[in-house]
Amino acid sequence: MNEVHWAALAGYPLLATLQLLPLLGALFLLILRKARLAVAIGRLFAVAELVVALELYARIEVSDSVMQFAERLDLLAYHAAADGISVLFVLLTALLGVLLAFYGMARQQVTPVHLLGVLLLIEASLMTMLTTMNLLWFAAASALQLGLIGYLLWRWASASEEKLALSRFLQYQFFGWCLFVAGAVVLVWSHADANTLVGGRWSFDLFDLLATPQIGKYQSAAFYLLFYGLAIRTPLFPLHGWLPNSAGYGLIAVGPVLLLGVKVGIYGMARFLLPLTAEAVLVWQPYVVAFAMVGVFYAAVLAFRQANLRRLMAFAVVSHTSLIVIGLFTLHPAGVQGALLLAVNFGLAITVMLLMIGYVYRRAGTTRLDSLGGLFDRVPFIAIAFLIGGLALLGMPGTPGFDAVHLVLEASIETFGALPTIATALGNVAAAGFLLWAFQRAFLAARPKDLPASRIARPRFMEYAVGGTALLVLLVAGFYPEPWLQLTDSATQALAAYFTHD
Amino acid sequence: MTELASFPLLSALLALPLGGALATALLRRAPWAQWIALSAALLTLLASLLVVAAFDGQTSDFQLVDSANWIVGLNVGYLVGVDGISLFFLPATALLFCGAVLAGWRIRAADAALSPGLYFAFLLLLEAATLGVFCALDTILFFFCWEFTLLPLYFLTSLWGVGSGRQAAAVRYFLVMLASGVPLLFGLLALSFGHAAIAGALMFDLPTLLATPLPVAAQYAVFLLLFVGFAAKVPLVPLHTWLPALAMGAPAAVTALIVGLKLGAYGLIRLAIPLAPIAARDLHWLLAGCGTLAILYGGVAAMAQSNLRGVLAYASLSHVGLVVLALATFSASALQGALLQLLNFSVAAGGGFLVLAFLQRRSGSTDIAQLGGVMRSMPLLSGFFLLFGLAGIGLPGTSGFPGELLIIVAALHSHTGAGLAALFGTVLAAAAFLAPFRRAFLGPLRNVDIAAGEDLLAREKAVLLMPALLILAVGVYPMPILELLRPTAEAWVAALAGL
Repeated sequence: MNEVHWAALAGYPLLATLQLLPLLGALFLLILRKARLAVAIGRLFAVAELVVALELYARIEVSDSVMQFAERLDLLAYHAAADGISVLFVLLTALLGVLLAFYGMARQQVTPVHLLGVLLLIEASLMTMLTTMNLLWFAAASALQLGLIGYLLWRWASASEEKLALSRFLQYQFFGWCLFVAGAVVLVWSHADANTLVGGRWSFDLFDLLATPQIGKYQSAAFYLLFYGLAIRTPLFPLHGWLPNSAGYGLIAVGPVLLLGVKVGIYGMARFLLPLTAEAVLVWQPYVVAFAMVGVFYAAVLAFRQANLRRLMAFAVVSHTSLIVIGLFTLHPAGVQGALLLAVNFGLAITVMLLMIGYVYRRAGTTRLDSLGGLFDRVPFIAIAFLIGGLALLGMPGTPGFDAVHLVLEASIETFGALPTIATALGNVAAAGFLLWAFQRAFLAARPKDLPASRIARPRFMEYAVGGTALLVLLVAGFYPEPWLQLTDSATQALAAYFTHD
Repeated sequence: MTELASFPLLSALLALPLGGALATALLRRAPWAQWIALSAALLTLLASLLVVAAFDGQTSDFQLVDSANWIVGLNVGYLVGVDGISLFFLPATALLFCGAVLAGWRIRAADAALSPGLYFAFLLLLEAATLGVFCALDTILFFFCWEFTLLPLYFLTSLWGVGSGRQAAAVRYFLVMLASGVPLLFGLLALSFGHAAIAGALMFDLPTLLATPLPVAAQYAVFLLLFVGFAAKVPLVPLHTWLPALAMGAPAAVTALIVGLKLGAYGLIRLAIPLAPIAARDLHWLLAGCGTLAILYGGVAAMAQSNLRGVLAYASLSHVGLVVLALATFSASALQGALLQLLNFSVAAGGGFLVLAFLQRRSGSTDIAQLGGVMRSMPLLSGFFLLFGLAGIGLPGTSGFPGELLIIVAALHSHTGAGLAALFGTVLAAAAFLAPFRRAFLGPLRNVDIAAGEDLLAREKAVLLMPALLILAVGVYPMPILELLRPTAEAWVAALAGL
């Protein structure tokens, strides 16, 4: 595996900047805490992060599939690099950071500086996960991030059952994290063991691991540990138990968006799991896909039974995550590319929906479907933005979901045949059913008596700006997907090449 | 006309309603938003007439082709063009939308003080998507526009519809169409994969796909998938259940659009049959059977309706069955008849629903039991309804006659039983229309609202006059239209016969 040093592409170490900038921002906020300007400075850092991410996008050589912008610091085993896939996720993360920085700070009960600081810290950890080439760094950043999200859940919890949701969240995530680390250790140990001739050195570096020949003996174990570790994080049916509980409590938009908007679980599978355990992946592919296909339907059915918009969204996530995994495990260039684009599209779409649910909550004080209704005539913008987000989840034409689903289905037909693929696509229609149903209940149904029209304020400028920006990105990417396809093309080809040599 | 032909006329045609939709959405609170919508609709109509004027009736090739790169990596392009099949759908669509915009003048949402500008924005968005379906020469672009029609329809029905069932009807329509989009998309993908296996590259543009025939087994798969996908939209029995629900729930102008625009039949003519010709020829009995079933079922069900909207909805089911039967005969004259018949329905059914929209505004209902004696207080309105109804049942002298005649003659020749059934179907259709007409429009006055209702306003007369004149003109002298359709129809049949 080759890489291009950062100096060849940019004037300064871009990836380190990406990780340090939000950290620096968080530090500033810690010092400034009470100052008036603190919120503005925090937002400035979020915007600067997006600018750096855009520069990364402008400078990457998309036709080259090798890792680029490489940075190494051997003392700490620090090794960061990026290819088209990482850049796509980095762009999304930076965009979500900006949206959230401008979204969350209007609520009175939240201390905005504090929240903004945590947000920037989480953004930094996400950037590390998306750029590191080292399994341990990935795991460490993941632990930091989960801790911070747990803190978000705890800090802004208001009812006792939220403590239960929190402990459920921590149990699941800690268990998943342990599995991932155990998988990494098994992998590295077996590599070191098999290559005693070259010194038997322990290295968690992706490059070192790929350079030494793969060994069949422990691969299935390593695959399962890593896969389940990431699957809990993603979350993937049937390991999703923590999500509906914790999605129902805590901050409505900020926490869930950071947790679900950037699909680091999927990214981890594409970056580490698929190349490192290629043989085991081929063996276990049918089982993974079968579970994912069941998951599409299972989550869609359960979503119909939810009375709370937030829990419903959680099941929507489980349903569409299954679709991403199906795409990824086609191990076909188009399918992998579709899955990664789908992951980014779903992240953006779910963000739009969660932000809109947040706006609804500000007005109605609840997200229970039976206490909502008649919002469309007061806030049509919020309603239409919510619906467009939902349609992007379904892969309607005009959203980036369309091209991505299209790619996944094409690859799925070639790999698994037409019937399972058609069944999956119909599962997606079931997902359409519950989203439309929720939309009607919340926005179109008759307004309940205890929700008078006067309580539903018209959208404010900032709400238009945040929602409008997200929608604009969604629609532009949907109508003109070419740049994203180009960005990920060579990198996904290289990834799929691990599975086509036989 | 060369300078016209070099101008990107079709792209302009698609851009006009889109621009209008954007403008009305932005200015939705302004009282003159509806004037913007009307001028956008009228400009679109003008552009569609220019398309007809620039069209060369001598060849069967795609004309006025306009292309641009879209998704280069997948060979998906923006490619639009017209031939004789799609040509007349464009002015028919534009005309219907002009009527729909006028019929929506000062419309009020069912339970909200929603700004009417939004209604016009959705209407124009729907127009752009519909015109896109008729112009698209790239299968993915076609599917894109096809699915894009759903969203505005959903909003129009659930926000401005009538009755308590409107939201359920809107969801049902959306889900049925989304589900039928699955086989459609898979059919189109299977088609391109089949071609990629032969030609090497994955292509989605229609001219290339038409030039290389698929192996027979693949054709069967493609044809059946596309057939199921389009049958739900046509609609063919038993996939029709969304239509009556929607016809009752949607705002009347929108019902006119759904019933008037035969996207499903167009899809069969444009894609399903020419792209899988051998399978289509082998499965002619499927087309003929489904068509005949729809003719008879629609006719009988129409007679059992208690609401005029239900009558028109089921009558249109029967009409489009006749078109599908025409396709099964694979003769050029039947195809000409089918295309003419589709246009006639656009005008007649669309006009009929517009009349019902005007009637509903006066009487508050289109329930037959609530009406009676409409002819006394509103003779002009009743007269227009009668004319549209007679065109629908194919009375000689109206535009319904030549098409129906061509189809039935061809059907009697190739599928005698089905042709006889179709003949019987025309009798059923006549009975299904005339009986409710007598009860609702003739007879004594029973309803105060109707007695006090004023006849058509000048604006409403203007809306209805154009389709009425078209019906009479085409009915008396259909040759120019049939001539323009002929080269394409002959090429379509020749492509099937040459196998």
